[in-house]
Amino acid sequence: MSVPAVFASLIFFASLILIYTDKINRTIVALAGAALMLVVGQVLQFYDLETAIQVIDFETLGLLMSMMILFAMLEPTGLFEYLAVLAARASRGSPLRLFILLGAITAAVSMFLNNVTTVVLIAPVTILICAILGISAVPYLLAEALFSNIGGVATLVGDPPNVLIGSAVGLTFNDFIFHSLPVAVMACIGGMLLLSYLFREELSKKPQNADSVMGLNPAESLNQPETARRVLIVLGAAILLFFVHHLLGIGPAFVSIVAMSVALIWVRPDMEEALKRVEWNVLLFFGGLFVMVGGLEYAGVLDIVLGLLEGMSHIDPVWFGVIIIWMTAILSAIVDNIPITIALIPIIQGLSETGMNITPLWWALAFGVGFGGNGTIIGSTAGIIVASLSEKTKAPITPRLWNQRGLPVMVVTCIIASVMFVILYETF
Amino acid sequence: MNISDCMKRNVISISETATVREAAAIFSKKHIGLLPVVDMDMKVIGVVGLRDLLDLELPDFLRFVADVDFVHDFGAVESTRPSSDILNGSITVLMKNAINVNEDCGLLRAYAMMLQHGLHDIPVVTDEGILVGVASRVDIGTSILTSWSEVN
Repeated sequence: MSVPAVFASLIFFASLILIYTDKINRTIVALAGAALMLVVGQVLQFYDLETAIQVIDFETLGLLMSMMILFAMLEPTGLFEYLAVLAARASRGSPLRLFILLGAITAAVSMFLNNVTTVVLIAPVTILICAILGISAVPYLLAEALFSNIGGVATLVGDPPNVLIGSAVGLTFNDFIFHSLPVAVMACIGGMLLLSYLFREELSKKPQNADSVMGLNPAESLNQPETARRVLIVLGAAILLFFVHHLLGIGPAFVSIVAMSVALIWVRPDMEEALKRVEWNVLLFFGGLFVMVGGLEYAGVLDIVLGLLEGMSHIDPVWFGVIIIWMTAILSAIVDNIPITIALIPIIQGLSETGMNITPLWWALAFGVGFGGNGTIIGSTAGIIVASLSEKTKAPITPRLWNQRGLPVMVVTCIIASVMFVILYETF
Repeated sequence: MNISDCMKRNVISISETATVREAAAIFSKKHIGLLPVVDMDMKVIGVVGLRDLLDLELPDFLRFVADVDFVHDFGAVESTRPSSDILNGSITVLMKNAINVNEDCGLLRAYAMMLQHGLHDIPVVTDEGILVGVASRVDIGTSILTSWSEVN
């Protein structure tokens, strides 16, 4: 192993450990790691700023940023409270019905919306609904975190790893609809059945105040209907364009940036307020990781990993995919799935040189990193957010409870993904 | 005119050894909004507001949901009560640092302090920190307005 490779690996793994321990904010770790990689790269002459700027995937950043700004306009309209209130009324106070409806709404919304934003919007109103029913919010909050991650796997724009994979490999929105959506739907059904069983005690008791949900007025919860209407029209048009973007010769980032601009002109929100709701820390985290992984590449670390993987090329590619699902799922349960995805993309791309058919492996990667984050309370940002919100209530979600409820869901969804991967391998 | 001219002198206070339950009983019986907490020498060591006690009963969601106008029925929340552990616990758990004024404090200064700290009542103490009265915004405000009659 060369000197640059040793230093670059050290910087990357030290950053991963710091992200895992959560002692320092992950964005600070990524930015400092990127800067250190640049300094070492400059001194050892394997990496410089010009190269680093080239390795940043601006398509991913543009797509993420424009979707974030679009939803930042939607956030204060009360649309998500509106949806949750409709679900509560439709449940007529039955815990099981409420559980299924809120889970399904979360999964559906997070297909198009960042998982973190989805839970940030739906969790508070869930706590409200459970409080007036006089039941614990824990099963519902936990389910929302899990289903936001599962739903995110379904589409190109549902989850940052999918955006990364789509952008790096040139997969279209429809590719995700054909390959990822069916797996995500099955995983949702499987996860829902399992969770309903695991929470059977909590979900079977009829609340004494079941009628109180009928006192929730959906129309009043939607406080900016006109803004919501405009953003939804633009978003609907963007989703239609996502379906045909490859036919028009444009990328999904192009569609979302244009959609964001149209919505901004039409709605003209208070820009300062809207930009406050954009997760700049996530975008900077991405930027830092791109630069760090670029350093690994130019230091020759990825070639070394590929050399090691070549020894595995005799493995049946179907099983290789299953190994990727489980390996990336376990890694994502421990560390944030974004650095794992960014690091694995060039490695999988490199595998094509060994003659392996790598196309199915992208789906294996998307399933593994998507479902894996559900394994632990710190495995996904959506999970961390829900857990920290629940800590401020009288019934917090504990790591132990997560291991008893979230971990089984991760295992079952990974089994579903593996089985579907094996059965549908020819179509991938 | 200063605050000692308009404050209430028959001050109701509570001992630092009292429980939350005892404090609640005093608030209900005396119809007041603020209870200074005093030590054996009547020195103010903190205050407990009616709001601090009511916060025990307020639902968690009020901290996360900006607007509850659409919730027409609070359902189970209406009948939640603090646990007996909390009610039998020490009042000092709910106690906040007291913002006091001295007996010779001017009316506008006292009023400005109450506005800035969001207080409705303010304890009045001697130089030694001993409680001698409590003034409300209404006490101070009406006294200020009274002085307007002197303007031609």
